Amino acid sequence: MPKIFNIIWIFLLPAFFAGCKDIYLPEIPSTTTNFLVVEGVLNAGNEPTAIRITRTYDINGNIGDLQGEPNAIVTVEGNDNSSRALTMTSIGTYQSNNLALSANNEYRLRIKTRDGKEYLSNYIKVKATPEIDSISYKLQDGNMQLYVNTHDPANNTRYYKWSYEETWEINSAFYSMIIYDKNAPPKFIRDRKPEEEVYRCWKYNKSSTILFGSSAKLTNDIIFEQPLNIIRNGDERLSVRYSILLKQYAMDKDAYEFFSLMKKNTESLGSIFDAQPSEIRGNIKCVTDPDEIVIGYISASTVTQKRLFISRPAGWSFRQLCETKIVTPDSIDYFIANGAYIPIQEEIRMGTPIVDYQSSTPACVDCRERGGNLQQPAYW
Amino acid sequence: MRAALNLFLSVLLAISCQNFCSAQNLPAVSGRYEKTGAEDFFKDLEKQTGFYFYYDTAQLDSLYIDILIEKEPLDVALSKALQPTLLKSGIDAADKKVYITSRVTMLTALPAGFYTKTDITGATADIADYGFDGKSRKAIAENKIHEIGNKNAPFKPSVLLSGVIRSVRTGEPFPNVSILIDDSYSAISDTYGNYSINIPPGKHELHIIGFGIRETHLTLQVYADGRMDIDLQEQIPTLKEVVVSSARTRNVRNIQMGVSRLSIDEIKRVPTVFGETDILRVITTLPGVKTVGEASTGFNVRGGSADQNLILFNENTIYNPSHFFGMFSAFNPEIVKDVELYKSSVPAKYGGRLSSVLDINSREGNKKKISGSAGIGLVTSRLQLEGPIVKDKTSFIFGGRTTYANWLIDLLPDDYDKSRASFQDLNLGITHNIDSNNNIYLNGYYSRDQFKLNEDTTYGYANRNFSLKWQHRFSRRLQGEIIGGYDYYKYDIKSGENYVNAFKLFFDIRQYFGKINFVYYHSQRHGFDFGLNTVAYKLQPGTFEPLNSNSLVRPDTINTERALENALYLSHRFTPTNKLSFTTGLRYSFYSFLGPQSVSYYAQGQPLTDDTRQSTIHYAKGKFINNYHGPEIRFTLRYAFTPDFSVKAGYNTQRQYIHLLSNTTAISPTDIWKLSDPNIRPQQGDQLSLGFYKNFRSNTIETSVEAYYKNIKDYLDYKPGANLLMNHNIETDVIRTKGKAYGIELLIKKPVGKLNGWVGYTYSRILLRSAEAGLGSMVNDGDFYPANYDKPHDFVLAGNFRINHRFSLSLNSTYSTGRPITYPIGKFYYDGAERVLYSDRNQYRIPDYYRTDFAMNIDGNHKVHQKTHNSWTIGVYNLLGRRNPYSVYFVSENGRVNGYQLSIFGSAIPFINYNIRF
Repeated sequence: MPKIFNIIWIFLLPAFFAGCKDIYLPEIPSTTTNFLVVEGVLNAGNEPTAIRITRTYDINGNIGDLQGEPNAIVTVEGNDNSSRALTMTSIGTYQSNNLALSANNEYRLRIKTRDGKEYLSNYIKVKATPEIDSISYKLQDGNMQLYVNTHDPANNTRYYKWSYEETWEINSAFYSMIIYDKNAPPKFIRDRKPEEEVYRCWKYNKSSTILFGSSAKLTNDIIFEQPLNIIRNGDERLSVRYSILLKQYAMDKDAYEFFSLMKKNTESLGSIFDAQPSEIRGNIKCVTDPDEIVIGYISASTVTQKRLFISRPAGWSFRQLCETKIVTPDSIDYFIANGAYIPIQEEIRMGTPIVDYQSSTPACVDCRERGGNLQQPAYW
Repeated sequence: MRAALNLFLSVLLAISCQNFCSAQNLPAVSGRYEKTGAEDFFKDLEKQTGFYFYYDTAQLDSLYIDILIEKEPLDVALSKALQPTLLKSGIDAADKKVYITSRVTMLTALPAGFYTKTDITGATADIADYGFDGKSRKAIAENKIHEIGNKNAPFKPSVLLSGVIRSVRTGEPFPNVSILIDDSYSAISDTYGNYSINIPPGKHELHIIGFGIRETHLTLQVYADGRMDIDLQEQIPTLKEVVVSSARTRNVRNIQMGVSRLSIDEIKRVPTVFGETDILRVITTLPGVKTVGEASTGFNVRGGSADQNLILFNENTIYNPSHFFGMFSAFNPEIVKDVELYKSSVPAKYGGRLSSVLDINSREGNKKKISGSAGIGLVTSRLQLEGPIVKDKTSFIFGGRTTYANWLIDLLPDDYDKSRASFQDLNLGITHNIDSNNNIYLNGYYSRDQFKLNEDTTYGYANRNFSLKWQHRFSRRLQGEIIGGYDYYKYDIKSGENYVNAFKLFFDIRQYFGKINFVYYHSQRHGFDFGLNTVAYKLQPGTFEPLNSNSLVRPDTINTERALENALYLSHRFTPTNKLSFTTGLRYSFYSFLGPQSVSYYAQGQPLTDDTRQSTIHYAKGKFINNYHGPEIRFTLRYAFTPDFSVKAGYNTQRQYIHLLSNTTAISPTDIWKLSDPNIRPQQGDQLSLGFYKNFRSNTIETSVEAYYKNIKDYLDYKPGANLLMNHNIETDVIRTKGKAYGIELLIKKPVGKLNGWVGYTYSRILLRSAEAGLGSMVNDGDFYPANYDKPHDFVLAGNFRINHRFSLSLNSTYSTGRPITYPIGKFYYDGAERVLYSDRNQYRIPDYYRTDFAMNIDGNHKVHQKTHNSWTIGVYNLLGRRNPYSVYFVSENGRVNGYQLSIFGSAIPFINYNIRF
């Protein structure tokens, strides 16, 4: 019985093909939206409450086009007929130092804008936020991943939201002991005073992603290792020491759904199976024009917080490309006086009495050049 | 091979006969015949010569001979005598036989010395085969006169001819083959190769035309009802044939419209990504068929969503026809025989989906000998084996594929570079031929996919299908089949890295089905199809459980859904004249949602939300909770103005009781299905279509224009932010939606010749609209909006150019309008970042799509006696290296909004394919 075997071999030519992601900015016609955007949490503890009221802006615009809403009348109303006013502290920011909300009442936010429109949120319950158990961190593939852990023994919170503030110290590549001073002839170079040191700086950042979590699908109200942020290997933030202040807010299911839709719409796109982006509203409506779009979800809760410090882990590969340059005294005007180089220390030229100056570029010597702030934070 | 050579010789013979036939030594005859009956005349000559005369008395009726013959040789005498009539005489001097035939002279000898250059011995002239007693016989050779029925049977004005058309090589039946008799009567073989046709008795020319077979001509002499099984040659291009141009008129003459048929050979000719033959990809090159993008499960037919296609693989319903994010179809090309797509006139025996039926048939195993193939491809390894279990009775075919596609992952966007994927599929088919009236078919199918996206989460899905079919012929006019089977589809998601949240999510659907189909052939003018279908569904919408004992996940299960769908159908084909034909089909489907189940009821006239829920009622097991039923109409009409020009019109209605829930742009492999229940109504659709079909240049060029208008009711769309997974009240997240679709499809197809292929252009729209006016949650304020797969302009060229027998070029080119997308209308600042604001859905489009693929097929030499046969395929997918956008999206990164375009294939993808057979 004859057999036929059909053998197919396929070779692959060396191929440099890849699916890819390219920057693409389609031309989208500008439309005037100018919808009201309300952001904030009514703080039920003893801390201040700040509500930010802004407007949507042109899709082709940038962050500079963001406009705060000035001179609105913002009040928090309780279902006990109480009323608390918030005052504008800067354009678009309305604040109260202590709203003194009661956990037994429900509250809503009323906004009257200067164009005569009135906006009202739904009544919201005041939620108690449990303490943060810990902020944990792990090195994974060389990157530092931070997590939050928390739980509610009463199994009552279920939906959590977080925001954080980061602080990190940066050090210049070179410690400069001398300084250029045009009032110090004849050398115009003198020793640095302690208050003139530019070696240690601190930088600050706030979270810019929506962080939330839920234990609704678990038997106990436990949040275990909910990812917060990831610091890629080599990042400056862990070059010396890093600190994170995490704030935790309890929220209700509707708020959770609002933020999860906002995250889907604005952060989680770009996979092969994307959810369709869709309209987003919140719990605030325009009373005078019910069809008007208002963005924002107001909730009320106490706030808990925790701070964590992390020192530079072993093997963290942060490097600055810095070189020193010898500047001779006769070329100070040319290299140093104009700020192109900063002197680091003196160096006696071999076999001569001449003193040269080891110098480097400002970014390698003055940490402010890298966006740092010389003021040491109180908690450092 | 032998048969082909025989044909070749026979044709030569016919051409050269005139030169050789009369130089024979024949006895002389004499006589005076005045008004002598032809029969008496032949009898007299028999006496004079001792030759035996063969003739058909029917042809001699009232035929008289008037002639005076004086010592003339028999042949001269006969030709003189018969000259005023249509009769011809053929004389076999050696055997002393004379054949009297009508119109055509019987050939009785081959030219002298004809065989000296060949080693075929013992070949004799084909002669009429008398003495046929009505039993089945097989016809292979042309040029014979095949007698059908007992010639002594009483005369009937119309007789029924039936039989099976099979491959002479493998014994596999040939479906969809046209049988044309005298260009006046036609029939088409069914899936099992059966045909039947009513013709008047007498002599007929029979033409057999079809894909993948060689066009065949037979001469029949029909006396009474009879059976003729025909074993056909497949189209083998190794011999240069004598091409007899005849009517390739199926697209014009066939009553069905909106049907596309592709044989596996046609499918294999189209270049595809990584050189992997892909049935669904080729289907999407047909007019009226679209996809959302390269990585999308399923396809969209005439504005229908992907779940509105009934995908049948050997009668089994395949719920997920894709592997690997939808990049490859789950059907092994080595197993598949052919594919039929019904876009508009869906036969009444199919139902349950709104848009189309894709019917994929696998081959039957070779009944004569064991054969097989094995292959290693860029993406898959394949093994296929087939052969007889009992020779000529029982055969099997087995196919399996597995993948090592992980390297492919690296081609995906960087975000997926830690992902893993694998898939397998297996097919087994067993065919048993009990006798000529009974056949049994057993089919099994299994496919499995596993993949892991960057995180620790693994996804898996699987199809398992099984069916058993018994086909029985009750009589020549009535045949039936009974089919039973089981379909299963499941997927699961597992995540285990975070042990507190470690979970397993599981979905599955099972369906048990039974089908009884009958075909009754009444006459050339009337035919009937009727039967009943039943499907019992059992669907687990979701089980969410802890993956291990450390997990704190609370187990959650959504109640299992059960339903029963029954349908009865009757379809009548009526052909009052040769030009006019109707098919009127009626299908009545009856659906019941069954207990045990808890059903929520909502306030009348209010939107379905948690707030308007009034009660939840629990129903006991087996309780009929609610029923939906209704008629479905399938009507088509054809009028053929000329043999190569016809107009067809159709009206179709459909009902669908099971829905895919998906609110992602492209259907993802982990979307779930939902049965209709008291809150989710069945989808309904109707379609009106009109088509014009014209063939040119002896039917070598087929053209068609088809236009349609379609309405869709109770389609499901979703509220913003709808959560479809583990949702106990899914009805509160869906929006009942209406749709309208319309379009025009132009196709020019050249199926034969050096240059073959097709060019198609489609203009089509699909617009949706929220149906629940006044109930809130309206998409785009209740205005029409385009569906995700609305691509108005679509142009496809699939071409193949055969430079010679060993070298051919294939080119495939696609252009389409970019799909709709929701672009943001503004920006706002929230939670520390600039973010975008979306409004009306799908009001913009991504850039247009354009892609060209190219392949060269090089065959080794065609010498018969060599150990190996080899061939090369060299090709490039996405020849122009164009980065066709799959999606355009905006994300907030580090506080700022960035816009990106995502392409699945970022450059040209070359491939080489070397095949060897021995």
